[in-house]
Amino acid sequence: MLIQEELNVQEKLEILSDAAKYDVACTSSGVDRKGKAGTLGNAAACGICHSFSADGRCISLLKILFTNQCIYDCKYCINRCSNDVVRTAFTPEEVCQLTIQFYRRNYIEGLFLSSGVLHSADYTMDLIYQTLKKLREEYHFHGYIHVKAIPGADPVLIEKTGFLADRMSINLELPTADGLKKLAPGKSRSKILTPMKQIQKGITANRYELMEYKKAPSFVPAGQSTQMIVGATGENDFQMMMVAEALYQNYDLKRVFYSAFVPVNQDSSLPALPGGPPLLREHRLYQADWLMRFYGFQAGELLSEDRPNFNVFLDPKCDWALRHLEIFPVEVNRADYYTLLRVPGMGVKSVKRIIAARRNGPLDFDSLKKIGVVLKRALYFITCSGRMMYPIKIEEDFITSHLVGEEQKKVWDIGSSGTFRQLSLFDDMNVPALTDLRGVRL
Amino acid sequence: MKTVYLCENSIEGILSGVYAAWTSRKGHANVKLGLIGDEDTMELFCQYEEVPVNAGHADKVVQAIREKISEEAYIVVYKAALSKERDRGDKIYRFLIYGFHLGAKVVHMLQVPEVFEIFQICRNIDNETHLLTGFVRFVEMEGDLLVSRIGPKNDVLVLLAPHFMDRLSGENWVIYDENRKKAVLHPALRPWFLVDLISSEWEERMKKASDEDEYEALFQCFRKSISIKERTNPVCQRNHMPLRYRAYMPEFSHGLKDS
Repeated sequence: MLIQEELNVQEKLEILSDAAKYDVACTSSGVDRKGKAGTLGNAAACGICHSFSADGRCISLLKILFTNQCIYDCKYCINRCSNDVVRTAFTPEEVCQLTIQFYRRNYIEGLFLSSGVLHSADYTMDLIYQTLKKLREEYHFHGYIHVKAIPGADPVLIEKTGFLADRMSINLELPTADGLKKLAPGKSRSKILTPMKQIQKGITANRYELMEYKKAPSFVPAGQSTQMIVGATGENDFQMMMVAEALYQNYDLKRVFYSAFVPVNQDSSLPALPGGPPLLREHRLYQADWLMRFYGFQAGELLSEDRPNFNVFLDPKCDWALRHLEIFPVEVNRADYYTLLRVPGMGVKSVKRIIAARRNGPLDFDSLKKIGVVLKRALYFITCSGRMMYPIKIEEDFITSHLVGEEQKKVWDIGSSGTFRQLSLFDDMNVPALTDLRGVRL
Repeated sequence: MKTVYLCENSIEGILSGVYAAWTSRKGHANVKLGLIGDEDTMELFCQYEEVPVNAGHADKVVQAIREKISEEAYIVVYKAALSKERDRGDKIYRFLIYGFHLGAKVVHMLQVPEVFEIFQICRNIDNETHLLTGFVRFVEMEGDLLVSRIGPKNDVLVLLAPHFMDRLSGENWVIYDENRKKAVLHPALRPWFLVDLISSEWEERMKKASDEDEYEALFQCFRKSISIKERTNPVCQRNHMPLRYRAYMPEFSHGLKDS
């Protein structure tokens, strides 16, 4: 292992942020905290993006590894111990200085600190704890901190860190225990889930404590999150969604992130992805994730054992609506909140506006458009005062063909980023789901 | 004959205009609010009347809005007065006609075109404020002074200041609005205040300070290494961070696009 001792901060930052970039959790949301006079920082519940990198992902936190030295040999990871890359580590002082100085200039919303496992899980967790302690207590930093809990670390250390951080996360990495065994031999399912359970319990206990004593220190106030890699192993979308649902229900997670697998290592156990990372699949998973968190859907409604993967041509909500045409069309001026939420083209914001606006008089299609409803999708599924926008057959094939035409460009944009190809009149995008399409007229 | 009331470009000016137009008793259809200095073509068969700022009148209108409509409606009107919209004065007037007629529920009645206009204006200004809370960049100058330059379409300075006052309460900072030549000044541990600032020497000094700031180089390097090459997506980046903001950000000093 090549360990460089005399790197300057810029070189270290380059190496250690490069190594952290595959972690997708960059949100700074979930906690509202007022600033304290004379000290630096506050936190906004909505989260604030400070910049966007060339790949279109937001930069809101200073996302770095503490060190990229690691004892594990996870096949998909650039920092696995068998890789010959330059290894280095920050000192707690350097991390604090970078965070404070970036924060003052409004470059970032806070710190995201992860780390490779150096010597042992306990040793690494302690380093992270010392850094956070310095940042919070010596530098009086009140901004957002997202920190990784190292699987297998001492629960006491995790708890102490939790009182300093806003959000903690432990990456599940792969949705099934088999996949984990195959690609991350050093980690096991129980090793990951134990600290997750511990943090969940800590948050619940802390909530009761805060009810009684307002001044009690808060434990991981922005909740915990996790991340799964999409497309590194053979799991289908249904399995991914079931795991995500279980995590939301049993572990009270705030977010599950999905990260399209980017092959950084050559390894026989990793899939070759000639078409680039599975971005469209990742996109569909996120869409479904939103449906579960904000729209009251369940994983079992969107997918099933027989149809384990998302439709490539349609977003999950449209797909669901087309299979449940019996409940449509919905009357906008009467339907309740949850029914409206299930109409394609309507989101949480527009439904709330509809409910507020219709108290004062009926809505027509024109006002729906103003309110923010995407009529090109919604018009097949709604009536306003008993009328549809156009005379439309409520028939699966008819609506599918119209919706697919509208979605096609988006699918193309996401699925083939960076590559250019002649579009063909006949479908040659080697889509295996063509049989699922139920008579789309191409 | 229609009367156009020309008011000064400020919340007080516009509300004085509202007061003058309303109390003229000429009928809502026969009055219109304009702004002084607006280069709109003058209308024919119209009488133009300038309304001086009258704090007492503006205050009466504010009281009336708060009591007869709602606190929320007042916030909406205040924000609309800061917007880039050229006929914001008249739009506020039309909104208030419905407001005094319908009461507190008016802010949710998006099916009314006059209300929708105001809603749209507020949405635009809120969005720009939110983006700028992230996109403002400070440069450290001598004497621990943090200076930032922005060029927003709406007059968001007063909406932006409370956010940074809470966040950077212990710092001396300045946010300078280039389009309106005014700035928010915040001395450490004291409240912020608004001043008019016209000085080119300032920009020189900022540029020099920016060249010397080592953390700017560090951040540029961080931005570069954090992006995943396989996922490059300039359209997505542009949707989230329009080019017009980038001219004021040091990480794009070499050009508005990531090469």
